[in-house]
Amino acid sequence: MSWTKICDASDVSANSVKKVDVNGISVLVVNYGSGFRVIPPLCPHMEEPLEESGIVARCTLTCSKHLWCWNMQTLEMQGETEKPLKVYESKEENGAILANIENELTYEFEDEGGADDDDFFK
Amino acid sequence: MAAKNHRQWTAEPNLQMNEWVDSRIYSDPQIFEEELQKIFKKTWIPVCHESELPKPYDFRTTSIAREPIVVCRGPDNEVRAFLNVCPHRGMIIERRPSGSFLEGQPSGNPKRMTCMFHAWQYDMKGNCVYISREKEGFQDRLCKEDVGLRRLRCEVKFGGFVWVNLDDNPKVSLEDWAAPAFQCLRKSLDAEPLEVFHYHKAVVNANYKLWHDTNCEFYHDFMHYHNRVTGFNDAYFARKNEAFDHGHVVVGTFQVNYEKYEGFESRAALSFPHLPPNQWYMIDLFPGMNFNLRGSALRCDIVTPLGPDKVMIEYRGLGLKRDTPEERMTRINHHNSIWGPFGRNLHEDLIGVQGQGTTMLPGSEPRRILHGRHENQTIHDENGMRHYYEEWGRWMNRRPSKPDQPFSEAIAVAAE
Repeated sequence: MSWTKICDASDVSANSVKKVDVNGISVLVVNYGSGFRVIPPLCPHMEEPLEESGIVARCTLTCSKHLWCWNMQTLEMQGETEKPLKVYESKEENGAILANIENELTYEFEDEGGADDDDFFK
Repeated sequence: MAAKNHRQWTAEPNLQMNEWVDSRIYSDPQIFEEELQKIFKKTWIPVCHESELPKPYDFRTTSIAREPIVVCRGPDNEVRAFLNVCPHRGMIIERRPSGSFLEGQPSGNPKRMTCMFHAWQYDMKGNCVYISREKEGFQDRLCKEDVGLRRLRCEVKFGGFVWVNLDDNPKVSLEDWAAPAFQCLRKSLDAEPLEVFHYHKAVVNANYKLWHDTNCEFYHDFMHYHNRVTGFNDAYFARKNEAFDHGHVVVGTFQVNYEKYEGFESRAALSFPHLPPNQWYMIDLFPGMNFNLRGSALRCDIVTPLGPDKVMIEYRGLGLKRDTPEERMTRINHHNSIWGPFGRNLHEDLIGVQGQGTTMLPGSEPRRILHGRHENQTIHDENGMRHYYEEWGRWMNRRPSKPDQPFSEAIAVAAE
């Protein structure tokens, strides 16, 4: 267990997100008003960069592309969301956001399937 | 004979049937529509060069015979082509001329082609990977697996050009169709990766075949003042036009004395691989593509017919991918000094076909356009055009000199 400083709490205003590089690993800091979360930067649905698509309101992070959303306090999936959000262990200490980022958290995305052989056009 | 009255002007020339064509093949709207259906939707068309989509998720959009096409490079590095049409409501999917699907778009996700209309999404293999509110709207009656992009035959070949055929079952493979014509340059073009360093396009008020005609004969060097005064010599006049199956023509090489061109230098140091210095080959492919290698620089013309009297010509200049910056600058200079928009003769070629187009507007009175020069199949012979129009007649089942009559193999053979 090692706590790494991600940024100052004051760097991320309420109801917004900020992408930070920590020793080569990109993470997203989410300020949901009553607390912070540190998560991987991509939406688990279709790799959308949440830095662009993420909307934070009423304690909920919503990816605006396909409206997958999670309660930031309980991490409960909401609406049509089909995959849970992964989170880094984090805490706020003396005005700084710290997280435990020993291993990068990633999602499995579906490979592109489909026939690609010579018979395709026959 | 002096000037002509109307009857004399419209009379058939005293030449063989395949030594002239009726000007309606350059102006008639119905013939033009037939060409799109019978030729352009059935044959191999180079749409771009693979160096124009160097990285996974790079794309270019283009069209063949009014069908919008998107060409993209998948994460597996394969280049694929699709109709740029959403199977839902027929919206065009990608509107940019080129770019990367990794770039975020207001309506699009990274790594996917997204139809901005209703957010349906497709991967680089054309699979539909997302339908918005799928279950709510279609229940189980239609799902992602039931829809997908229309994939097109696409091959990267002959120096890295990307060839597309709208016909799933073409009469001949790309290899069989063009390999014999490319034989003279294939080793040089395939020796190492090439790269596009120049692109411009011209939209000309002329039929696309007029442009190809100009590429098929060098008799019009009389229009190119500089070529005429410094280019004509015995070796020049000895160059041969060689006909290949499927309507292609290759103009054989000779060694160009660039030192004799005013303000030019030898291109020997940067000649393409496996070629003696300062060679000049030209490959004219049916129905309107041209590959022109002048020692150190390759030019490629691709025509997109826009109407009976309008054509878009895309010009690309290519060098070796491994060029140093200095080599590249020299190569660009070699290319542009002849073929750039302000080069030695390209703009003059455009004036030529634009002038022809001016006299052959749709509805103009039909005239005979002569293709009857015979000079032992050398550079001022018009055998390349005769060969082209024989193939054109076959695809169209129309006789180029009498387009209301069906093509006859017997007449074509007898005439030649």
